[in-house]
Amino acid sequence: MADKAVSLSDAVARTVKDGDTVFIGGFGHAVPFALGHEILRQGFKNLTLCRSGTDILFDLMIAAGAVKKAVFGYLGNPGIGLGQAFRRAVKAGAIEYEDWTNFAMILRLHAARLGVPFLPARILQIGDMPNVLPDLKTLDCPYTGEQLTCIPALKPDVALIHAQHADREGNIKFYGIDGDTVEGALAADKIVVSVEHFIEPEQIAETPELTRIPAHRVTAVAEVPWGAHPSYVEGFYGRDDTHFYDYDKIAREDESLRQYLQKWVYDCPDRRTYLETVGAEKLSELKAHGSGREPR
Amino acid sequence: MSALPAAAALALAGARELADNDVCFVGIGNPSDAALLAKHTHAPGMTLIYESGVIGSDPKTPPLSTGSPSVSDGAMMIADGLSVFAELQAGRIDVGLLSAAQVDRLGNLNSTVIGEYAEPKLRLVGSGGAHDIACLAQRLVILMPHDPRRFVDRVDFITSPGVDKKRAALKLGSGPAALVTDRARFTFETGEARLAAVMPGFTAAQALEGIPWTVSKTADFQVIERFEPAAVETASRRLDYLFA
Repeated sequence: MADKAVSLSDAVARTVKDGDTVFIGGFGHAVPFALGHEILRQGFKNLTLCRSGTDILFDLMIAAGAVKKAVFGYLGNPGIGLGQAFRRAVKAGAIEYEDWTNFAMILRLHAARLGVPFLPARILQIGDMPNVLPDLKTLDCPYTGEQLTCIPALKPDVALIHAQHADREGNIKFYGIDGDTVEGALAADKIVVSVEHFIEPEQIAETPELTRIPAHRVTAVAEVPWGAHPSYVEGFYGRDDTHFYDYDKIAREDESLRQYLQKWVYDCPDRRTYLETVGAEKLSELKAHGSGREPR
Repeated sequence: MSALPAAAALALAGARELADNDVCFVGIGNPSDAALLAKHTHAPGMTLIYESGVIGSDPKTPPLSTGSPSVSDGAMMIADGLSVFAELQAGRIDVGLLSAAQVDRLGNLNSTVIGEYAEPKLRLVGSGGAHDIACLAQRLVILMPHDPRRFVDRVDFITSPGVDKKRAALKLGSGPAALVTDRARFTFETGEARLAAVMPGFTAAQALEGIPWTVSKTADFQVIERFEPAAVETASRRLDYLFA
């Protein structure tokens, strides 16, 4: 099979286009920050970002002006606070958005993965959410007559995923908390992956049950150690909670958020520079505060 | 007067709602604290499920998010979001525990927006799994700190529905069984929240302080004299951050 191993910048440059609908992987775990930052450095615009529960990468991409529309179940800084850039963009009328639920977003991606236009569900029939979702339809079940909601498929143009391991052909080995990460990947037309560490195809074949995305579906794969910082990667490093708390304060003002973007994204032409900015001391602390379970 | 910090009292009051062997879909924050406390006191057979897909979770430190490392460390199963929401919709989850920015007299919860949806005063984080849990859990328990700003006559936006006549026809969960604060327990048998109990150290007047609608008492209104000493002891040890 073809060698799909590329640099981080090529992984993005060869797959993403202005105006794309982009699924961002990582439900708290293995959020693809390196890929997201690279999108911002390459200056893509008018993106529609989607996933169920977001991380601050979503908010940061909104702050950078790359996002035309956000489609989500939750958009914030989990456990800490609001999506500050999103909050301001909404206030200013500068962003389009759709409020779904986490289950609805998973079903939307699952429908696309199954290749069907919608899936029936019992949610989104009472309360105010059905009123603000555009064009949400119900159906009377042809078997039972029950009223169900039609949850429409959402097929991303491209999915950004971070995982532990891959071979150079693009077999992706991923474990730990998933959320809707694999669902979103397999729903998308193109899958772009960064991994902590390349391994050989023979090693992939030793634990094929841990291969969650098969090579033939993957467009490009890049080896990017620490590619999920400040989130965490099971078996590799812990979550930099302090970074998320700091972001909450910084993101409250446009100017400080602009400086954050400069420091962590635009002034870091590659991940090596980024890691120097994080600092060796911090990295060794995070390494020590992983789950303690070894990579598999 | 209760000598307990409010966060600890809320966890203790919430834990009382949970029974041994309950299968429990847990939100972050107060719900997670209450579920953990119950599991480590009177309900060791409880199964904690987080929307990130983790089943049989037992976080050693308070998770910031359902995707945080402490949710999966030591857990019995890491599945995915689809798997756990499937169980929820199929009616196989006994209890859902939720909190929110606002609650109203019908147990409706708002985590979407303060002000008008189209022109918000403050845009919040949105539903996450909260709408799903509120619609689909067999029994819904709402946990709210006693904070009058959070108790409103009608929420600005119904993210997670409370009492709603359409639930039965739509085969949804039965809606809020209880609204628990650090000062009181409210129930919804007749539709609106009624005061069913006061928590240790509080009078009915204190329990209702600042709540902007008229609250009646249930016929079996209770004064809870004390939390189980073993539960308080476990809380102070296992959830010491609530006492900080």
